[in-house]
Amino acid sequence: MIPFQLAEPASFAEAVRLIDPEDPTCRAVSGGTAMMLMMKSGVFQPSKLVSLRKVEPEYAAFTVSSDGALQAGALVRLGQLERSEAVRAAFPVLADTFPVLSNVRVRNVATVGGNLAHADPHMDLPPVLMALGAHITATGPSGSRTIALTELFRGYYETALEPGELISGLSVPAQAGRRSAYVKCTTRSAHDWPALGVAVSLAVTGGTIQDARIVLSAAVETPTRMTDAEAALKGAPIGEEAFRAAGEAAAKAAEVTSDVRGSAPYKTQLVRVNVVRALRKALAAEGAV
Amino acid sequence: MSVTLLKTHPLMPNGQVGRDVPRLESMAKVTGREDYTHNLRLPGMLHAKIVRSTVAHGRILSIHTEEAAAVPGVHSVVTCADIRTIIPEPYFGPAFHDQPILADGKVRYVGEAVCVVLSHDPHIADAAAQLVLVDYEELPAVYDEVEAATSNVYVHETLKPAGTFPDLKHLEGKRDTNVALDYRLIRGDAEAAFAQAAHVFEHDFTTQQVMHTPFEPMISVGEPTSTGLTIYTASQSPSFVRIEMARLLKWPENRIRVKTSHLGGGFGAKLYIKLEALAAALALYTGRPVRVALTMEEQFYTITKHATTFRIKSGVDTDGKVIARRCDVWWNGGAYADIGPRVTQKSGFTAAGPYDIDNVYLESVAVYTNRPPAGALRGFGIPQLVWAYESHTDLIARGIGMDPVEFRRKNILRDGRPHATGTVMKDAAIPEVLERTAERIGWDKAFDRGTGTIRRGRGIAIGFKASISPTTSVAIVNVSADGSVTLYSSTVDMGQGSDTAMAQIVAEVLNVPTEGVCVVRPDTDVTPYDMATLGSRSTFHMGNAVRLAAEDAKKKLDDLAAELGLPERSNIPVDQLFKKRYGMQAGNVIGIGSFIPTYKSPDHDTGLSDNVTPFWMIGATAVEIEVDTETGHVTVTRMVNVCDVGTPLNPKVVETQISGAAVMQYGFTMSEKMELDAGQVTNASLADYKIPSILDIPPLMESEAVVATQHSGPFGAKGVGESATFGVSPAIANAIEDAVGVRITSLPITPEAVYRAMRAAANQPLEDF
Repeated sequence: MIPFQLAEPASFAEAVRLIDPEDPTCRAVSGGTAMMLMMKSGVFQPSKLVSLRKVEPEYAAFTVSSDGALQAGALVRLGQLERSEAVRAAFPVLADTFPVLSNVRVRNVATVGGNLAHADPHMDLPPVLMALGAHITATGPSGSRTIALTELFRGYYETALEPGELISGLSVPAQAGRRSAYVKCTTRSAHDWPALGVAVSLAVTGGTIQDARIVLSAAVETPTRMTDAEAALKGAPIGEEAFRAAGEAAAKAAEVTSDVRGSAPYKTQLVRVNVVRALRKALAAEGAV
Repeated sequence: MSVTLLKTHPLMPNGQVGRDVPRLESMAKVTGREDYTHNLRLPGMLHAKIVRSTVAHGRILSIHTEEAAAVPGVHSVVTCADIRTIIPEPYFGPAFHDQPILADGKVRYVGEAVCVVLSHDPHIADAAAQLVLVDYEELPAVYDEVEAATSNVYVHETLKPAGTFPDLKHLEGKRDTNVALDYRLIRGDAEAAFAQAAHVFEHDFTTQQVMHTPFEPMISVGEPTSTGLTIYTASQSPSFVRIEMARLLKWPENRIRVKTSHLGGGFGAKLYIKLEALAAALALYTGRPVRVALTMEEQFYTITKHATTFRIKSGVDTDGKVIARRCDVWWNGGAYADIGPRVTQKSGFTAAGPYDIDNVYLESVAVYTNRPPAGALRGFGIPQLVWAYESHTDLIARGIGMDPVEFRRKNILRDGRPHATGTVMKDAAIPEVLERTAERIGWDKAFDRGTGTIRRGRGIAIGFKASISPTTSVAIVNVSADGSVTLYSSTVDMGQGSDTAMAQIVAEVLNVPTEGVCVVRPDTDVTPYDMATLGSRSTFHMGNAVRLAAEDAKKKLDDLAAELGLPERSNIPVDQLFKKRYGMQAGNVIGIGSFIPTYKSPDHDTGLSDNVTPFWMIGATAVEIEVDTETGHVTVTRMVNVCDVGTPLNPKVVETQISGAAVMQYGFTMSEKMELDAGQVTNASLADYKIPSILDIPPLMESEAVVATQHSGPFGAKGVGESATFGVSPAIANAIEDAVGVRITSLPITPEAVYRAMRAAANQPLEDF
């Protein structure tokens, strides 16, 4: 490892100021779980790292409102959310996702902001948060702005963040009775990156699906909403017929890529099957299984 | 996961052998106090970073070291020319002297060591290494073992067999070939028998290149000393390292000291000589201690398990008896032979399986390719062979409409019958292992075959292995004047529990508690010769040597008592004996044991021998699986592993060796594969090369050692560490066919492979890409 500068500013504003937007070797670091791997493998050689670990404590705090909306600072550790009764009650899908997205040591160190800013399409949390309708706050030299998760991911390790802009917070709206589920599909070992991730969120009344969000990840270049599949579910009665129509629509629309976890035709089949399974999982309580 | 050992095994009279002694080093390991070679820091020590080849086959035109050498803190940049000033002929290897310490004008695989940057700071060495530029003239390369056997792209100009193996002598100086060894076995007349067979079956099977993945990556530290050289190394074969270094340096053995610690796993990766020659040469070149430590990623470029192609053909008569078998096996040895030619022959001769077949024709060839080298990996080639012959066996049984267990039973090789080599089977509980496996899985009982998208199946497979022979072990047992006992042996405990087992043998003979026996770490200045810790040979070979050493010590104690005029069988404490003899607490009794079994080398033309191995290892696996018919995912819900290990010295350790071996082979079966693109490993990291995690392991795992005795082994024991690898892969493939009617013939068995096979069987093949 080549020597580099390490800054540990005491405020978020100072951190933003210390980052040179013109210099890609000057980066912010929070939990460091991804950054350290990239540095050890030589993929990334920083000239300067700006650590966020000593910024104001509110960036490491979160609240869940009485109606179940989450407001979290960017430096909240994944493990903090995982162990929060309020988060588990408001977002059962998060409680279900945390145990499969990394090992416990990583979850105790990795932060929400870092997880989203990394933008590796194989990560499990982004599609889930996208299905939940989350957005982030980005803070840069010219102030703060809100970006919906559907707009955040632009490509492989690419986000809509401007150079010099950092994720400062996450908000997830109250789910108001929506049903959600995440299916992680691996093809080599349980702890592998997924070959495919499917996150769904559904508003249902009686036996009818009023609104659906279906997000694919890992098999596609960025976490992506499957709008055709969502349309296929809108107004449909809960049941296998609707689920299969959504699976077919997603399989048809998804721009799936081949890699060591599976060929594109095979992963397209995984999409077809796992969209159905995610819908079943989300609606298991409605007697849909 | 539940692991159960059903049988209870006998406890020996003194209560040491046969007891579940907890591993002697476990407390030090779990509390982080265990000393590993990685922890060693010597004054003035330099760190080496290896610059590796980026081309699979090429001539080195120039190496630009200036920029790296100019980095502040860099001590030097070392190339093969510099190594030659220390070692004029810098080629090493156990079977062939074909591997240069650093690339010598040519590279033969991506990742080969080309030069080394040295610095007192490993990070500086690492950064400077990236500044070395190497110009290559690329040459055509060959990667596939079958293609390489007849290709006109040659990996080596001439073959350079080591003098140590008489059966390789005929290959000396041979040109224009990639075949490093061609072993042939001819028993009866296979062709004539095929002509008379009622049914003939022929199938091709392949296995993939995989890696050992020891969690302690390889490390060697060389240190110049006033008398010569000390090498601290995570090695499974310290005696071999010393002998090979003595040959390279043209020094007497006693100027070279090789020391090992406990190893964080070996599995065959740390055998013979790996980084030691480089560490030693760098230490002598610089006059300073030099540490060569690999990262996990670099291990993928060091030693691997052979990829193979196996074509197998059988003739069966109307009663379901196999009357003829032909086996053609190609072993992908990679760019350097390592121990590959031994694998080719010593495992190759069992390629027809544990069956009683009168007519066998077998060819087994070691082939050079431009891939990372392949050597020994837990099973020494046997899992690749069993994969093919037990998949084939199931296909035959199905083909003739016979139950797969009944078909095996009918053809199984029994004690008193000759193996294909002509060696008459003895103390080989093959039928017993088969029967216990079938019984435990409930083969004759009704079985839930699943419904809907989940289909269930069962499979069984059995394999066997000969011991590498002939090899020598020497042990010393020292009884101190207070009666405490120390064992000196060069067997390396790399996690298999050998220290505990050897201490139990000493303790049983001398009637002392195992927990009080001190086992000295291998150190060639202190501990006597041992061929190596490999091939499940230590329990049998070193176990016999240790027993002889302990018995020798016991006899000397008895002689001492007689000399002092004590009546026979007097139970005077040992410390009193010494005090009587020397007048104070003084003196030692030293017992020595040396063991080499008898052996007869196979005939060069026929491959036959009437004494081809001192003992046989037997292992069988049965599984129950579920196949997800929509995705091809296979879940092993239950796995039974049954082995003949003779009489267990330590049943608890035997149980963990059985389950550990099975889990390792399970990874090679389901997920592990080195992905290669133009010779470049594209997944050389644990993020992209997937070994099984605890969540992947079958929820029900059962281990059993059948009641058996190896009469020539110490207290009836024999090797344990590999036997449960044999049956795992074919048992799973056989179960998949049982569940969904498709046959997988290549490893690993990915969900995609299963799904594609199902679609193909339904005449709706999935498009390629």
